[in-house]
Amino acid sequence: MPSRRRTLLKVIILGDSGVGKTSLMNQYVNKKFSNQYKATIGADFLTKEVQFEDRLFTLQIWDTAGQERFQSLGVAFYRGADCCVLVYDVNSMKSFENLNNWREEFLIQASPSDPENFPFVVLGNKVDVDGGNSRVVSEKKARAWCASKGNIPYFETSAKEGTNVEEAFQCIAKNALKSGEEEEIYLPDTIDVAASSQQRTGGCEC
Amino acid sequence: MDETASYPPIEPSNFDLIVVGTGLPEAILASAASAAGKSVLHLDPNPSYGSHYASLPLQEFTSYIESHSSQSSSILTIPQSDMDSGFTRVPLTTQPLYSSVEITSYSSEPLAQSRKFNIDLSGPRVLLCADAMIDLILKSEVNQYMEFKSIDGSFISDGEGNLESVPDSRSAIFKDRKLSFTEKNQLMRFFKLVQGHLEAATAADGGESSESKSISEQDLESPFVEFLSKMGLSAKLKSIVLYAIAMAEYDQENADVCRSVLKTKDGIDRLALYHSSVGRFPNAPGAMIYPIYGQGELPQAFCRRAAVKGCIYVLRMPVNSLLMDKASGSYKGVCLASEQELFCHKLILAPSFVVQSPLPYSSPDAHDFGSRNTTEKLARSICISKHSLKLDVANCLAFFPPRSLFPEQVTAIHVLQLSSNVAVCPSGMFLTYLSAICEDDVQGKNLLHTAIDVLFHVPVSGSPGNNNFVEDQSETGDAKPAVLWSVFYTQELAKFQDVRDNIIRTPMPDGSPYYHDLLVATEKIFRELYSGEEFFPKSTSSEEGAAQELED
Repeated sequence: MPSRRRTLLKVIILGDSGVGKTSLMNQYVNKKFSNQYKATIGADFLTKEVQFEDRLFTLQIWDTAGQERFQSLGVAFYRGADCCVLVYDVNSMKSFENLNNWREEFLIQASPSDPENFPFVVLGNKVDVDGGNSRVVSEKKARAWCASKGNIPYFETSAKEGTNVEEAFQCIAKNALKSGEEEEIYLPDTIDVAASSQQRTGGCEC
Repeated sequence: MDETASYPPIEPSNFDLIVVGTGLPEAILASAASAAGKSVLHLDPNPSYGSHYASLPLQEFTSYIESHSSQSSSILTIPQSDMDSGFTRVPLTTQPLYSSVEITSYSSEPLAQSRKFNIDLSGPRVLLCADAMIDLILKSEVNQYMEFKSIDGSFISDGEGNLESVPDSRSAIFKDRKLSFTEKNQLMRFFKLVQGHLEAATAADGGESSESKSISEQDLESPFVEFLSKMGLSAKLKSIVLYAIAMAEYDQENADVCRSVLKTKDGIDRLALYHSSVGRFPNAPGAMIYPIYGQGELPQAFCRRAAVKGCIYVLRMPVNSLLMDKASGSYKGVCLASEQELFCHKLILAPSFVVQSPLPYSSPDAHDFGSRNTTEKLARSICISKHSLKLDVANCLAFFPPRSLFPEQVTAIHVLQLSSNVAVCPSGMFLTYLSAICEDDVQGKNLLHTAIDVLFHVPVSGSPGNNNFVEDQSETGDAKPAVLWSVFYTQELAKFQDVRDNIIRTPMPDGSPYYHDLLVATEKIFRELYSGEEFFPKSTSSEEGAAQELED
């Protein structure tokens, strides 16, 4: 049987609190949106099957679980990511300025083997707010930053209205797949503790 | 060093529980309390997770050990708040857990790749496949954040520098080439007897009459070593069963030095656990597995689980003092390095924190609340090498039974070698952990250094200019791997404190190579804290959780 990991792609979503990370994930995977903001509780990761050239992959999209609020994401969160999505709110300059910190934090913590070419995707979210009137970060400015960091793909999204969300994640999946295939330091023969224990728990309820 | 971050204020300011330190017991408790619906704030002064249970890159490991060792003890003076808040600020200081730290670098190679290492602060430790820790990993669903690999084998030192396979299962006995025919028979009969006893015990629990195969009550209460002699096991087999399978720590055959005698019933329980671990997972041939990226993945996984259930995480945030109610004398919260005051019903502190109790009227030992009540210490050492201890073996455990190194060796030495296939070191290198219980630093150092000399080639001097010995060694065909870098340290082994007032102490990393005792101590703390609550109730799947949150 081919390796299990090869068909599983890990994507992590980073960015300041409140920029819409959880909403973007939910819009993409569940086609749902809630207007009521809550600091993320209960979000872990979402999975979605994606198909590329008649091969099926599982995209595993990891939420920060709120641990980004006090910059307290552990190294385990970053490890083994195949693509890193950086999200900011086009209505908040600070969230845009912090993209640089998030990118650097990722490169330090995840220490990918080829940091120059590691796939990032940047999303400018909440373009719907106030008909675009409260926007403070221009598309030009955002694209210039992306270009300066090795031509990071850029999308302007609205998790609320679903604008560009599908397109953005298509790109994310494609890049994750490309990096997953190049990454050859992958570790075979891991023990699947969940699968085999299921048979056991029937006999022994402790 | 002091990189207290400038965070926004933490909200809310009242919690059911505040936990200080992100070691494994603290992480499990934060996760369990969050799963039980409690509001929890989890703090750590360090920039990374895991406290004394962390796995760190080489450089970070070195600075962690040094900053938590006895030379660097610091006493803080806490300014009392000018406002009369009704609380006294009681300083919270840290007590060093490590002493006699000795780091030797024989080659610049390991440090040049510092970040490729994930070095356990409390190694050697592995997961026994049938242990309660694995059940908890599954029940709490932290398994979805972790991956594991198999430990390929277990070895015991024959006293002459050779490592021989531990015949730990029927097929291992069958394949063993060092045991005599009589010994194979003895061991096979003994395993059968134990299995018969366990089956009889299970049958008795199920209401059926117990069979004659079962071991007598008198034998069960007797020392395991006596029972093994009675069953006619040779000295070698006794040593294997006692130290490599039942993990006895002290010399069981010398009552004068043995501080903990293993009873037959406990020995048989450990044997049973070991046997049910073999083959529990289809592609783990041995009894043990190890988390990829190191032990430190466990506390991180439990912390993420806690976060998913609503726990708030703040790293790089020291707690400077505890808030003591002036009227009642009980602790009501903490004051952070950021000067923010936060309140809680219960407070959990990692074992390295010391409360400078100001209460003159409290119980006599209040002044050294958190101080050690044991004279035992744990000697730990780690060696980095370019060759495996055993040809064609990547990850393995090994044991030096008492008296195998020298007649005065009172305790067993546990050894764990790990390779780059568990992502704890650069490819082509090996990490070897050693530990032993000792009376004091000198004895501990002597013990581990002797074991290291048996296992490794230790260059005469750590002269940094000489990098050629590695090549020399491979050319001469010396069987022993050369040490590139090593560390020795002793760790305090305090017994964890009982619940006093509303402050709870978590256990120190212990000397066991397993998680069993730590988990028992941790679960006990939870039951005392929240007696009505279930320790990790069965939850709905996480995806549903995330979706539901949005629908609310």
